[in-house]
Amino acid sequence: MRIPTAVQHWIVPIVVVAAWEGFGRAGMMPRYLPAPTLIVGALYEVAADGELARALATSLYRVALGFVLGTGAGTLVGLGAGTVPGIRHFFDPLVSFLYAVPKIAFLPVFLLLFGLGHESKIALIAFSCFFPVFIASRHAVLAVDKHLIWTAHNMGAARAATFFRVIVPAAAPQLFAGARIGLAHAFILLFAAELMGARGGIGPLISEGEDAGRFDLMFAGIVTFAVLGFLGDRILMAIRGLVLRGQMIGTLEQAVR
Amino acid sequence: MARLARQIERWYSIPLLLLVWQAAVSSGLVESRLLPGLGRVAAALLRDTSAGVLPYHTAITLARAAAGFALAACLGVPFAAAMARSALIRNLFEPIFFFGYPVPKIALFPVFTYVFGIGSPSKIAFAFLECLYPIVVTAYLGFRAIPIRLIWSAENMGAPRRTIVGRVIVPAAMPGIFNGLRIALPIAIVVIVLTEMIGDSRGLGYYIAISGTRFEFANVYAAILVIGACGFVLDRGLLRLRRAVVHWERDADAR
Repeated sequence: MRIPTAVQHWIVPIVVVAAWEGFGRAGMMPRYLPAPTLIVGALYEVAADGELARALATSLYRVALGFVLGTGAGTLVGLGAGTVPGIRHFFDPLVSFLYAVPKIAFLPVFLLLFGLGHESKIALIAFSCFFPVFIASRHAVLAVDKHLIWTAHNMGAARAATFFRVIVPAAAPQLFAGARIGLAHAFILLFAAELMGARGGIGPLISEGEDAGRFDLMFAGIVTFAVLGFLGDRILMAIRGLVLRGQMIGTLEQAVR
Repeated sequence: MARLARQIERWYSIPLLLLVWQAAVSSGLVESRLLPGLGRVAAALLRDTSAGVLPYHTAITLARAAAGFALAACLGVPFAAAMARSALIRNLFEPIFFFGYPVPKIALFPVFTYVFGIGSPSKIAFAFLECLYPIVVTAYLGFRAIPIRLIWSAENMGAPRRTIVGRVIVPAAMPGIFNGLRIALPIAIVVIVLTEMIGDSRGLGYYIAISGTRFEFANVYAAILVIGACGFVLDRGLLRLRRAVVHWERDADAR
């Protein structure tokens, strides 16, 4: 007998959660791993008194604004760097040096520069998004099939038309790949910045639950954060699907997604 | 001469930026406490390097990052191969890797500190988890993207199973494997420094956090320089290794 593929997909998660619940109910799990049903209960608790909605709004504001600013800047500069050698030569050494530096290392500087409020977190998230998005956009432009560009030139297309009608559409899948990495960076930075000194947001929700010994509350925050990151990625992929209607068909990425 | 000009064209922006930095500090445009002059950063770098403080913290950070990265590479690549080979393993674990990929795993770090303690183990385990995802997913896509014709050709020519794996499948998957490793390497460093900043008494992350709270920004910049240099050197090393292993690849993209 063969188990259907769709069922196989769910075996591991269901077994893990069921075992966690069972051992938790039997009192065999450590205190810091509360049973899933208790976590759901805590989620309901913070959702009911409005605390979850406030934290969500704060975190969403920070991550969305930071992501949009950083990704926008990274895409624009990256497209420029891919097109104009002068821009490329200016940014390449700086980016390749700063890329591997955890941007959270600049937190002390940003805190002093932008204060303890939203601005320092937003700036740090934008700063962190910039680098992967820049690299992806720059490579995307350089990887555009030269024949496409030559053809456009041959047909008398102006430089601007070539850029907007040939280069940007051809680079678009890679631009989305860059934005996706940027989004992952945005959530990492959001969590780290919120954990290391912020008022409001999901990070403090997690650390407050931890400090109070309410591990169910801590997990409620963790689950919320994980779902938020997951949904953000799904939304980005849905936008990509709309923008690139025809371009994804038959690619391996689409097949395994 | 022309080569020199090209080198200058390719690298001038770093000294230029440093020059602007120094000019901004010297002219008093920015508060020098926030942006210490280059001389003070260099002095801090020199002082803490010769005193052994920076090398000590750097060694700890790099050792942790290397441990997490190596674990993820050694387990992740064979696991990706198994996923590509067996439909059962693929069906069981593909959703975990592809749906779990965009989930910000950093949120789980507090749990890691409870399970593994606050010292090195929780940080290594977390770096392992963060590196595992890009390594498995990229290597898996690499294994699956192998043209079946290559394998058929080898079979047709009478190659035994072992030869096909060693001479066709593994080499064909190498670019994908290296792509994953290259994505994971900076992640390992970033994750270790970040978790050290959240809570530790050793490592470069701790050094940055403690210097920041003491408003010793020259030290913060010195540590950022050290991390940048380490990341840069390690990335170049990995590229060299890639070129040596995937020597048939003449891909401008890989640069």
